[in-house]
Amino acid sequence: MTRRGPGEVAHWPLHLFVGAMVLLTVYPILWVAAVAISGGQTPALADVPQDATAADRVRTLLPWPETVSGANFRALFTDQPFARWVLNSTIVAAATTLLGVFLASTAAYAFSRFRFPGRRAGLMSFLVAQMFPGTLMLIPLYIIIVQMLGLGSSWLGLVLVYTTTAIPLCVWMMKGYFDTIPKELEESALIDGASQATIFFRIVLPLAKPAVAVTALFSFMTGWTEFIQAATFMNKEEMYTIPVGLRFFVGGFSQQWGYFAAGSIVAALPVVVLFLFLQKFLVSGLTAGAVKG
Amino acid sequence: MRARTRPLSHRRRFAAGLAVALLAGVGLCLALVAATREEALAERAERKAVITLRALAELVERAAGGEPGEAVRRAVARFAATHPEVRSVRVVTFEGIRLEASSDPADRGARAAPRRLERDEKPLYDLGQKLRAAVAENRESTAAAEAILGEEIALERRPDGGFALAAPVERGGEVLGLVQMRTEPAPQGAAAPSWLPFLAAWLAPVLVFALLALALGERRAPLAAAAAALLAVALGAVAWLGLRVAAEERRETGRQLAAHAAAEAAATRQLLAELGLPEAPPLAPGRWDVDVQRRPRQLLAAAGTLDEGRLGELVRRDASRLTRAVAWIAAAALALLAFVGFGGAARVGRDLVAHRAAYVYTVPALLAMLLLVFFPFLYGLVLSFTNANIYNSNKPLAELWVGLANFGDILADWRVFERTAEGLVFDYQNFYWTLGFTTVWTVSNVLIGVSIGLALALALNTRGLRLRPLYRVLLILPWAMPNYISALIFRGMFHQQFGVVNQLRQLFGAAPLAWFDSPLTSFLALLTTNGWLSFPFMMVVSLGALQSIPADLYEAARVDGATRWQQFRSITLPSLRPALVPAVILSVIWTFNQFNVVYLVSAGEPAGATEILITQAFKIAFEQYRYGYAAAYSMLIFLILLAYGIWQNRVTKATEAIA
Repeated sequence: MTRRGPGEVAHWPLHLFVGAMVLLTVYPILWVAAVAISGGQTPALADVPQDATAADRVRTLLPWPETVSGANFRALFTDQPFARWVLNSTIVAAATTLLGVFLASTAAYAFSRFRFPGRRAGLMSFLVAQMFPGTLMLIPLYIIIVQMLGLGSSWLGLVLVYTTTAIPLCVWMMKGYFDTIPKELEESALIDGASQATIFFRIVLPLAKPAVAVTALFSFMTGWTEFIQAATFMNKEEMYTIPVGLRFFVGGFSQQWGYFAAGSIVAALPVVVLFLFLQKFLVSGLTAGAVKG
Repeated sequence: MRARTRPLSHRRRFAAGLAVALLAGVGLCLALVAATREEALAERAERKAVITLRALAELVERAAGGEPGEAVRRAVARFAATHPEVRSVRVVTFEGIRLEASSDPADRGARAAPRRLERDEKPLYDLGQKLRAAVAENRESTAAAEAILGEEIALERRPDGGFALAAPVERGGEVLGLVQMRTEPAPQGAAAPSWLPFLAAWLAPVLVFALLALALGERRAPLAAAAAALLAVALGAVAWLGLRVAAEERRETGRQLAAHAAAEAAATRQLLAELGLPEAPPLAPGRWDVDVQRRPRQLLAAAGTLDEGRLGELVRRDASRLTRAVAWIAAAALALLAFVGFGGAARVGRDLVAHRAAYVYTVPALLAMLLLVFFPFLYGLVLSFTNANIYNSNKPLAELWVGLANFGDILADWRVFERTAEGLVFDYQNFYWTLGFTTVWTVSNVLIGVSIGLALALALNTRGLRLRPLYRVLLILPWAMPNYISALIFRGMFHQQFGVVNQLRQLFGAAPLAWFDSPLTSFLALLTTNGWLSFPFMMVVSLGALQSIPADLYEAARVDGATRWQQFRSITLPSLRPALVPAVILSVIWTFNQFNVVYLVSAGEPAGATEILITQAFKIAFEQYRYGYAAAYSMLIFLILLAYGIWQNRVTKATEAIA
């Protein structure tokens, strides 16, 4: 034990408090992992006998299954169309990322570098569009995407919707970053005879790599984790994305908690890892004027 | 400045403006006229087919009145023989599900009528039942003086241009079966519209303007007046032509229908005579011209003669509709003329050229936003003034217009609760209940998030605390998890029978609880879920702010003898403010719109009590299919968010000014 100076508190109550909070925080995640490796479909971690003792009850709370088996993971990819859903989600998220980054970086570059009539209006429109949740637009979007364009249950329809959802925040984040890149570089390239396009693709974009990475991550997460629009537009089972599929396992009267848990781990793992690596950028990006959840 | 570098001729501008405005205005007007003509032809063909169908139904009804079987078959055979434009006729009776008579070439030999309907002919029987239901429904509506909506005549235009029609066969007010009739494809009568009037109405004014411009010189006002006058004259001429065409088509429709009804009446009379049926009561061919609800259209008098007064009324109605449309087009064309003539177009063109790089870069993103954000928004706004729903979504929105009725229904309904014998009964579908619940939900969540997040940040910020990096990573996990997964996990943990929360209750001797059966416990479950997934954000933000406070501030305070509480009040809290205010603003919006948690955890249970505004709007749209009402609901949510955004903007500016 180190000696503390006057006015400093003892650490053990803090450890107690933070430890308890950590336990509450981690428990649901351990629970879902335990259900996933239990091999069964009930959300219970252990069977409770008719006249359960306190010990039996405690057993049901421990996040460790009675039998350990990989059956849920195996069945997920063999009996269930989960692999297909992963493919759908991957294609949609990847296409959203490519399209989102391309559209957002070009627009952000123009907003950052050029002064032109309509610049303020354009920027403001992105800001306003960002304030409102996409869920509110579901009815007109549904009519436009499904009834007018005939893009229901298709990758393209969902990619278009996700891209426009992601663009405003991405434009603002990228513009903020472009503003910090000194103009002198481009000016000297211009004197050397480089074209506008060369400057953008060869000089500015490589310099803005961190911002491109964050924008890409954000677009990817939008496509990978969005639930309600996918549930509205994807009506065929083979076109579900992962979120819609996971909800299909445990929504309504369906009670396949084992498949859900195993699928959740597959779906969440890449996102959680990416998030933990890049959280610093996300926090600064979000507080820099983003409003949408 | 730029405009002065190259003096532009007013004459040339107005000439170009006139040409463009005429092109658009005359083009639209003539397209309108062509559409009117097309519509008239289509309507004429449709109504003639209906008259034939009704004559046939009359014949069948009269034939069935005597001796059902054979007489009907003979009537159908004779009818088909005298009507070359009719491809086939089939009569179905509900009793015994029989094909009573048929002139269809497919119904020969083994399939000859009379026979029982085959399995694959079920749609025909179902169609009959639908007509019967419509007749019954309309009778009730008539008795209750309500709008008559049931379609008693089935009418379908087949791809080849022929019609497939069906009408009920009645006796003594009871629907016994149906008669179905298919017609041969009629020759498409509409001639291709001539280009001559278009060229004349476009070129002549431009040429006249060119001559006038020579006389007027470079004087702007007279040039503008001349161009506007010429535009008005040209559009007026086109409109006059259009009105004449519309009136002529309307009259022609009347004449042809009267002639057709008379011909059908004569043919029916002759068939009745051949079949040895009396012509009593007398035929009323004028009543054969009906709409799909089988209401006479009243263009023909009962005896089948044309009602001139009614025809004049229709012509006047057409004229006023067409005039209104032309007036809109003229206004738009005039605006176009002014835009080009006074140099607006030139300025915009110059801007586009001068800043082309900027526009090339921004246009793809703006176009995508236009198509999938701003257009849907406008569409939603229009939708909110209609009563569109899943059953009428194929009709034009103008027909479904209800004005502000949706907003009135939502906002003026103050009956949030009722006093009954059992106490207060709340109406959970009421807007104000949902609004109140959303407010309580948002405020309590943000309070919980801020207090837990801040407490943890303060604890973690203690100097020399061991395991801090580990704690931090573990505590941030809920934020990293996709929130739909977290929501579904909590749904599982609050499971009544197997959920761990109820196991924990039982460990302490309490009974398992059905969490989603009462509003309060349902709310608690939601609060737990959202608290779990939202505190890490507040924690991270607070921790970042705490770490940026210089340590010597506290040193100095200690030297001055400040207590820990005083240090917290005067150093920590003020330093947290700039970081916490935006975080709270964000988190209010997130929670207000937290669709996934509410939709996936409680799904509004019980009975919509725990619905927030945004999930309620979703349910109205996609579970009740009331698109117009849901759009109005969404617009109200927009307004609330907008008001909040404006208020938030002010607050942030104020805090920035203080800082």
